[in-house]
Amino acid sequence: MRRVQGLAIEGWSPEYGTAVEGDPEEAPAAQVDAGSEVPDGEWRPLDPRPGAWVPARVDFVDGVRRVEARVWITGEDGDARPGICASYAAGVVSCERKAVIRSLKVGRGFFGLAGIQDLVTRSGTFRASPVAEDDVQQLMNGLQERMGQLEVEVAAVGAPAPDPDSLVVLDGPLRGRQRIAGAIGYVKSHRVQYLPAGPRGVVASLGPGQRTPVFLIQTTWTRFSWYMRLTEAEGHPWAGIVRCEAWTESGLDRVRRIADATAAALPGFASEPHKDDRAPQNLYPIAGLERELRHRLGDPGMVYRALQRAIFDFHTSDSPP
Amino acid sequence: MRVRAPLAALPYTSPMNEQPASSHIGRVIGTDPATPLEFWVAVREGCFLQLDDVLVLERRLPGSDGPVRIYGMVADLRARHEGARFDSDVFLIEAGVLPAQVTEAARVLATRFEPEIYVAPVPGDAVHRARGDARDQALFFDGMKHRIPVGLSRDGEIVHANMEFLDGTRGAHVNISGISGVATKTSYAIFLLHSIFTSGRLGRGAHNTRALIFNVKGEDLLFLDRDNRNLDGEQRDRYAALGLPAQAFRSVELWAPPRRGDASAAPRTGSRAEGVTSFFWTLDEFCRDELLPFLFADADDERQQYTIVVHNVTARLRREARPLDDGGVRIGSDTCRTFEQLIDAIRDRVEDPETQQDWAGRAIGGGTINAFVRRLYAARKDAEHLVRADVPNPAKHRLQFQEQVAVVDIAKLSRRAQRFVVGVVLRRTFRQKEETGSRKPLLFVVLDELNKYAPREGRSPIKEILLDIAERGRSLGVILIGAQQTASEVERRIIANSSLRVVGRLDIAEAGRPEYAFLPPAHRQRATISKPGTMILSQPELPVPLVLEFPFPAWATRPDEAGGPGGGEGEEGGGDPFAGLEGE
Repeated sequence: MRRVQGLAIEGWSPEYGTAVEGDPEEAPAAQVDAGSEVPDGEWRPLDPRPGAWVPARVDFVDGVRRVEARVWITGEDGDARPGICASYAAGVVSCERKAVIRSLKVGRGFFGLAGIQDLVTRSGTFRASPVAEDDVQQLMNGLQERMGQLEVEVAAVGAPAPDPDSLVVLDGPLRGRQRIAGAIGYVKSHRVQYLPAGPRGVVASLGPGQRTPVFLIQTTWTRFSWYMRLTEAEGHPWAGIVRCEAWTESGLDRVRRIADATAAALPGFASEPHKDDRAPQNLYPIAGLERELRHRLGDPGMVYRALQRAIFDFHTSDSPP
Repeated sequence: MRVRAPLAALPYTSPMNEQPASSHIGRVIGTDPATPLEFWVAVREGCFLQLDDVLVLERRLPGSDGPVRIYGMVADLRARHEGARFDSDVFLIEAGVLPAQVTEAARVLATRFEPEIYVAPVPGDAVHRARGDARDQALFFDGMKHRIPVGLSRDGEIVHANMEFLDGTRGAHVNISGISGVATKTSYAIFLLHSIFTSGRLGRGAHNTRALIFNVKGEDLLFLDRDNRNLDGEQRDRYAALGLPAQAFRSVELWAPPRRGDASAAPRTGSRAEGVTSFFWTLDEFCRDELLPFLFADADDERQQYTIVVHNVTARLRREARPLDDGGVRIGSDTCRTFEQLIDAIRDRVEDPETQQDWAGRAIGGGTINAFVRRLYAARKDAEHLVRADVPNPAKHRLQFQEQVAVVDIAKLSRRAQRFVVGVVLRRTFRQKEETGSRKPLLFVVLDELNKYAPREGRSPIKEILLDIAERGRSLGVILIGAQQTASEVERRIIANSSLRVVGRLDIAEAGRPEYAFLPPAHRQRATISKPGTMILSQPELPVPLVLEFPFPAWATRPDEAGGPGGGEGEEGGGDPFAGLEGE
């Protein structure tokens, strides 16, 4: 194990103070089976079946993360390695009669190669969070993973056992290992084309509140997915389209039921362009939750100064933190 | 000021010791700056604050043993959605789509620092309701050695005023402003008298303390000695809460001007006839006591030429009028028993070239004399029933106050006659007090429509007397309880000399005038929506005016309310207790 000899903050970095938005990269190379619900050739927009399940409660789970500072860690060998100090938070907003933030947690992490220690600052302790590789992407993945863990934790606080009457929506795609019981993934942007040309045309022809048939995506793990249109949106044919994901363990019948429920319930949460730049896909409860989460991360200027102070103390005190 | 123990010797008892630590009602917020005199308090969930609530917080200072206690009063409240950015977000929040939190915060005006170290409260400090002793400290009631209840606060607690600022010890006079009809100015003035007389704070002097009340409108004040039959149990409870008896005034005399053309000078009142004595002045008193100038509104105005004639004639009357047994006078060869005969005699003398120089003065032009005569005759109709010697036993009709409360009804008199009566009565009572030379027993004078008697512009004999009372009455024990619709129209020095200032409902334009600068903006706004029975009281020791309510009169204000004489039991009535107070 290496001992940390020196710490320094990179003077300036473009991601400082900005919460990282958007979803992590989706795996591009995926195998898709479009014929799970409806045979490949018979794709058409689906309306929720009559008498379809409408959830009594919708829980939205989301997290935010923010790089507070990029640091250089000098080991005993005099070699300086990169690391990041970041804040992250996750919470659950339950929409039943009122939209209530039911649980919320904030974490701060110090990401770098093994050997780093907790960094105690006036703005909280940045827990040592070792990563295997210290290139920027791996550090960010480490942060993403911590945030994902926190999302699982807050979702468990919010609903210890899956409620058959509630729908749990995780903002962003599902991730293989961090599982929130019964949750579906909610993907706002479409960087990867999963569908072949024919079914893709069906997506463009969806009306508000309609969905595509459920299809299967396989990367390193397998999940069900479907597209749906939230509202009539101006502009390109894919405006107002979102994609949802569900774990295959639920079984196709249950996933079809959930897919119908999303088509019925989610348009009610769609935002309006004058209130949200990412309307309509950025749903109101999620936007409200994110605002609160970012607020809870604290003032970035204060946190940055606290880190500077902590690193100054690290060098002036006899014992390392 | 109260002598304060040195810091170290101050026995430290925390006002919060009376309550469990969790009883705090909120905390000082840091999103709005907290200053020593004004700060915001976020209200804890499940609690509420209302305007006028009294609060206390403690701030510990480094290097000091005890904390600084900061007392304050809620002057404003706000509630809002945190997390909402657009007005329409409220619909999303209510539909359960957007998460948001309702927060309530109160703007607090500091009233007192104990000890006097003027520090700002620290955001996060826990704020408590001030109850009991803490409340008394917050509102300086603890330092008032002689205090009288002057109303109830919104939360049903007693509001006190310092008697020392009423009885002339450290200040005197009350001034009440407010729109007629809804401000209940007179009702409050009478309630104050009731409290002064019955709260037991006057001590030995209580029996000799008197009040002189001018009834300027309607007949509201002619039933002060009768219990109010419409006083219901709730109102009785409010008197009980104030520690005052719910009863009419015990010792009242009623005076009214005589009926015109009535040979026996029966009092001219409407609904109340018994127990009322008519008053007038004899021609002899009129001449001897120099009452003539009070007939002229601008008799002291130096710009008016004819005023020199007024003063010369007044002096002549005093010197040359010989009294007759029945109150009449003989001037030279003329015997006068009516006002008309008197002014005829005066006219002859100022117009006759032989006597003109003695009576009107040297080198007075004919125009000036004509102006005087014209005004003299214009006053005839207003004064002839008030100045006379054609009624037997005139001494019976001489205004002499025997009872504790004397009500002089001038409501049915013309403006000129009203000024005459008020001016003459006030001058005489003031002179009598001057002669005794002692402050006690106190004499309270209640006079509405001050703007008529002491307007901001111009000079008149009656304004001079009111100014005299305002400026010297404090040391002579003559306390003016004056009222007017608009303080901006009343002589500044009269308002400035009033220790207690009371404001009922104000007109919006009036509330913005500098005369009400003692009201913080929120209180000014509230004055424009005050309900009858609600007053805002400012007193010298408190930096913040107090909003108070006073109970419905325990004495009758109209014939159908009149029960038995003071102390009897009345029947219970219902409805809006202030509904009958329109004709203030």
